[in-house]
Amino acid sequence: MPNGADTHCPYCALQCAMTLTPATTDSAAPGPVAAPTAEPAHPTPPLEVSGRDFPTNRGGLCRKGWTSASLLHHNGRVTEPLLKGSDGVHQPISWDQALMLIAAAVKDTQKQHGNDAVGVFGGGGLTNEKAYQLGKFARLALRTSRIDYNGRFCMSSAAAAGNRAFGVDRGLPFPVTDLDTASVILMLGSNVAETMPPFVPHLQGARDAGGLIVVDPRRSATAALTSDGGGLHLQPTPGTDLALLLGISHVVVHEGLVDAEFIAAKTTGYAALVRSLNAFWPERVQTITGVPANLIRETARRLAHGVRTGGSYILSGRGVEQHVDGTDTATAAINLSLLLGLPGSARSGYGTLTGQGNGQGGREHGQKADQLPGYRKITDPAARAHIAKVWGVDESLIPGPGLPAVELLKSLGKTDGVRCLFVHGANVVVSAPDTNAVTAGLRALDFLVVCDFFMSETAAEADLVLPVTQWAEEEGTLTNLEGRVIRRRQALTPPPGVRSELWLMARLAERLEAPSIFSDDPESVFEELRLASAGGLADYSGIDYAMLDRGEAAYWPYPVGSTGTPRLFGDGFAHSDGRAVMVPVTPSKRAVRSFADDSLALATGRLLEHYQSGAQTRRVEALMAAQPQARLLIHPGTAASRGIADGDYATVTNERGEVLCRAELSNSVRADTVFLPFHFPGQENANRLTEAATDPISGMPEFKTSRVWVKKAGATPAAAIAVGVRVPVYVKEAL
Amino acid sequence: MSERIVVVGFGPVAARLVDEILPAVRSGLVQLMVVGQEPEAAYNRVMVAELGVGRTTAEALAMADAAELMADGVDVRLGVKVKRIDRARQHVVLSDGSSEHYDRLVFATGSRPVIPNLTGLNPDPAGPVLPAGVTALRDLRDAAVLRSAVADGKRVVVLGGGVLGLETALAASEEGALATVVHNGPFPLGRSIDRGSGSVLTNSLRLGGVRMAGNARSTGVETAGPGGSFSALLLDDGSAIDGDLLVLSCGVRPRIELAEGCGLPTGTGILVDHHLRTYHEPHMFAIGDCAEVRCPDAACTDCRSATAPSGLMGPGWRQAEWLAEYLVVLARDGQAAADALEALPPEKPGVVVLKARGINLAVAGDNQADPWDEELLEAGAASGRPRRQVSQWADPEHGRYVKMTTRGGVLEGLVSVGMPRTAAELVVLFERSSELPADRSLLLRLDGPDQLDSGATSTDPQRTVCRCAGVSAASIEDSILEGCDTLGEVSKATRAGTGCGGCHEDIKGIIEKHFQAAAA
Repeated sequence: MPNGADTHCPYCALQCAMTLTPATTDSAAPGPVAAPTAEPAHPTPPLEVSGRDFPTNRGGLCRKGWTSASLLHHNGRVTEPLLKGSDGVHQPISWDQALMLIAAAVKDTQKQHGNDAVGVFGGGGLTNEKAYQLGKFARLALRTSRIDYNGRFCMSSAAAAGNRAFGVDRGLPFPVTDLDTASVILMLGSNVAETMPPFVPHLQGARDAGGLIVVDPRRSATAALTSDGGGLHLQPTPGTDLALLLGISHVVVHEGLVDAEFIAAKTTGYAALVRSLNAFWPERVQTITGVPANLIRETARRLAHGVRTGGSYILSGRGVEQHVDGTDTATAAINLSLLLGLPGSARSGYGTLTGQGNGQGGREHGQKADQLPGYRKITDPAARAHIAKVWGVDESLIPGPGLPAVELLKSLGKTDGVRCLFVHGANVVVSAPDTNAVTAGLRALDFLVVCDFFMSETAAEADLVLPVTQWAEEEGTLTNLEGRVIRRRQALTPPPGVRSELWLMARLAERLEAPSIFSDDPESVFEELRLASAGGLADYSGIDYAMLDRGEAAYWPYPVGSTGTPRLFGDGFAHSDGRAVMVPVTPSKRAVRSFADDSLALATGRLLEHYQSGAQTRRVEALMAAQPQARLLIHPGTAASRGIADGDYATVTNERGEVLCRAELSNSVRADTVFLPFHFPGQENANRLTEAATDPISGMPEFKTSRVWVKKAGATPAAAIAVGVRVPVYVKEAL
Repeated sequence: MSERIVVVGFGPVAARLVDEILPAVRSGLVQLMVVGQEPEAAYNRVMVAELGVGRTTAEALAMADAAELMADGVDVRLGVKVKRIDRARQHVVLSDGSSEHYDRLVFATGSRPVIPNLTGLNPDPAGPVLPAGVTALRDLRDAAVLRSAVADGKRVVVLGGGVLGLETALAASEEGALATVVHNGPFPLGRSIDRGSGSVLTNSLRLGGVRMAGNARSTGVETAGPGGSFSALLLDDGSAIDGDLLVLSCGVRPRIELAEGCGLPTGTGILVDHHLRTYHEPHMFAIGDCAEVRCPDAACTDCRSATAPSGLMGPGWRQAEWLAEYLVVLARDGQAAADALEALPPEKPGVVVLKARGINLAVAGDNQADPWDEELLEAGAASGRPRRQVSQWADPEHGRYVKMTTRGGVLEGLVSVGMPRTAAELVVLFERSSELPADRSLLLRLDGPDQLDSGATSTDPQRTVCRCAGVSAASIEDSILEGCDTLGEVSKATRAGTGCGGCHEDIKGIIEKHFQAAAA
């Protein structure tokens, strides 16, 4: 029964606060209502959503949040374990059967192919408790090193750069509200006006001061906020962000805009950085990026001026990070911020905007291949000893580092690769790069288990689909984009047959005779996470549910006895000498290439109405009505030379695959670039075209500069017209 | 014993080479010695004029740190010249009398300024002795001379209408000096631009405070200044241009005498093949300004159109990166592996973007043809190769001019004055050999005011006012009809304005309009 709760939105990392209250109409109540003869596609939600005042969203929500409750009693919900039969059709089985089957599959696989033949793919949407437990489950119950997660596709580059420069990675090392009074904000490849609209009011101060500077190849909704005196829009050609940042830094150095005192006291590597910047004078950078030299100079000067007025902030997003040189690009942004003395200042700073709901917490507690809880390195003997002690096991039981996501997915079904895979909170068939290859990999597995609440495209591939709880049906914590730990609260009882992933891991741990304790109670798991994280970089040991429930603002690191850390770096950086490290970086040679063959650069990204792979938002009627299909954004001039008119179907192809979708003509995109949202499956799936090439440091794939050829589609295939609300592969039987 | 590489010269190109080889030095794979004639390690020569007008500092120009390199095991010799090279013994003989063995030798000797033949100047190319108040603006000491002239608001005469001359004059003028450019021909930049862009550029320079003396032939310098320093540049028509400092900006010439001295074939520069190897001596190489890539194979099509060294930095850096990889592979895996590396791709004609604050100019390729020059347009159009096409935009009143010369839609030449976005896009298109949009005017509008989002709002009732919550104007009006009369009430009823807040003014406008209409 719904009882309502104060909680946060299920979607992005802004984690807008919302209040859920029982819906007023009777028809909304679940349970003992007579089964209708024909179930409505979208039953009335059992809960009503209202915005709640909170520093991040101040009561605001976007469409995704407002409509989020409509998924709770959605009739596409999976409510029983489903086993795929030999006919390819999923049939319900009992939980007991499901657990038995999994335990047998794990044991069989490991007996034949070794422990690492079992793998886990997690998600940045999982609560801290689940993410923590999943890492522990993989290592102790499955005894495998092969665990990684979809955050590798989001935050890994910024995280690697942050760790390298600052010694720690917290997306925003300051509360979001610090931005309110800034006079200059440089947004690098981040489209918050679509991805997290309630964030936009935090940019208002900078816009009023004419200081919002947006770097984006597209005139995105966020870039449009710079019009009418709001600031500047820099439109580099895709894949050249790094050179652009070096050009801005060059101007800062040569025009004497550096914060010399800060550099001397708080950083290392300045002289080498200056030498590396020398080759990037604005006019040369103009020839690489297509951004006029005067805008490059202007940006540098405004940033420097902002420091002396209301403050300057540099914020990076996936647009500059999701590249094979993403770590270096994020590093270039950090270097620029260090030259200007922004990090650690009370009124200025650098940050990266985390994307997924728990993209921050999800990257701290052991879901990553190379990591143990508390943002510890799995190769660090002291870290291993600490975690082994908390888990009550011998250190030798903790496997070493595994494979990062793209490598993990490439290994599926291969000799010495993963043959039995668990997927939690991820829809890799839509969201992973080179998805045709990923799908082939999933089909080559001996056994695939997918935990989801809907029959996602990945679940449809699964041998076994396990129904798990949604956000309003569970307790837990998440860590938002500013490193603040917040509470997710249960507002209604999950449907019978649905279980939490904590419960699932606890039961499987028993069947697999795992050492240590696997609780299925979120608060107990959090208590263990506190101990495990104690002394680590992301130290949660001073945080408990009671204080979060009192509304206390808890920013990590929050060691026992402290009051947390709303602002990092005030007393120095997390390297042993307390200094930030400036690492000289240069564009990779890959960035220089010819477009003489009529190819275009494909950038992928988001729409306001959809979230991630769309597994949830494509099931919301209002959102689907607004954005029912993928549209290829193409410049009118580029379209004209290909005979494509607005609304025509176009094919987008390269050596990896083909996408068929409608074209939308717009001069918001550069003539050498096309844009596709990545929320859609099948023939509209943008990730059929992206390449599984990765950043050498972070393992981040290249999502933003795939080389593609665009043509007008011939006769419009019938399948292309069948858009609208998709019927899930499995529609559950009437109650 | 690991292989010993000696780099002759320590400018920006050599610095890149050294940086790229450094990991192999650290690992002990190769030994590296670099010999620089100047007392400083490599610095960014491209920005010497900027330093001369006080827009940057010498520290910021550094491109190498000798002490750090030494600590990494590189043998750095500064303030030392290579006097000659003994090819037979594989020795370099240094000006300090020492002699050093090499296994591989790389010429990175760069270029030296051309000293024009003027009375009052010693034209000895190897070691010109210039009178006080005359500089070729090549190194840090020259920059210091310009710096003091600019700081004192002196009269600076720039001889030469090339890129560097224009940049120097404009920057000096903007920083307070009185600058005059003396050049031959009707407009500066000579054959690389056309008449239209030349006259627009000249006007822009004049507006920028630079005095332009075109069609001028200089014959000598007058040294009647204090202590026999420069006082005027003398022209062939008998006139003189008075000044306190003469900046010679008459181009550069590759420094090839060391290579010549040891019998290596040279043209304008030291001749090298596609692996940057000197002819007949495969363990000697040349990169940067001193190198002329023109292979001995007469049938090589790439080399038929090869030009002398460009004097631009980009090609030299690409050569340095390529050669570093070649040398490291050679040392590690042997000749066969090194030969298997892909040869350095031929350079495209260089792009010049004027380094200037007040003027925007980009030039590349051949810009001589006009739209109706049948002869020039047909040139090279044979056996199915399309003819050239020229599109042109001239707006001298507003200091704007663009010419695009294309073949098959791909740029062969471009010149853009006064249109920064257009220039930036054209250069990217040129560099990538991308096809231009059939409607060339698309490229001209990038700098236009219509490219900015207008603040005007449509009055279509079905239009979406609040994108975040997906609320139309009609729904907002309905809520007003139902009694909402403030932003807060409308938001509560419709959710409009609850996301990014960008539509608040719009909603207020709809409310106001509604009640105005009601009152009327």
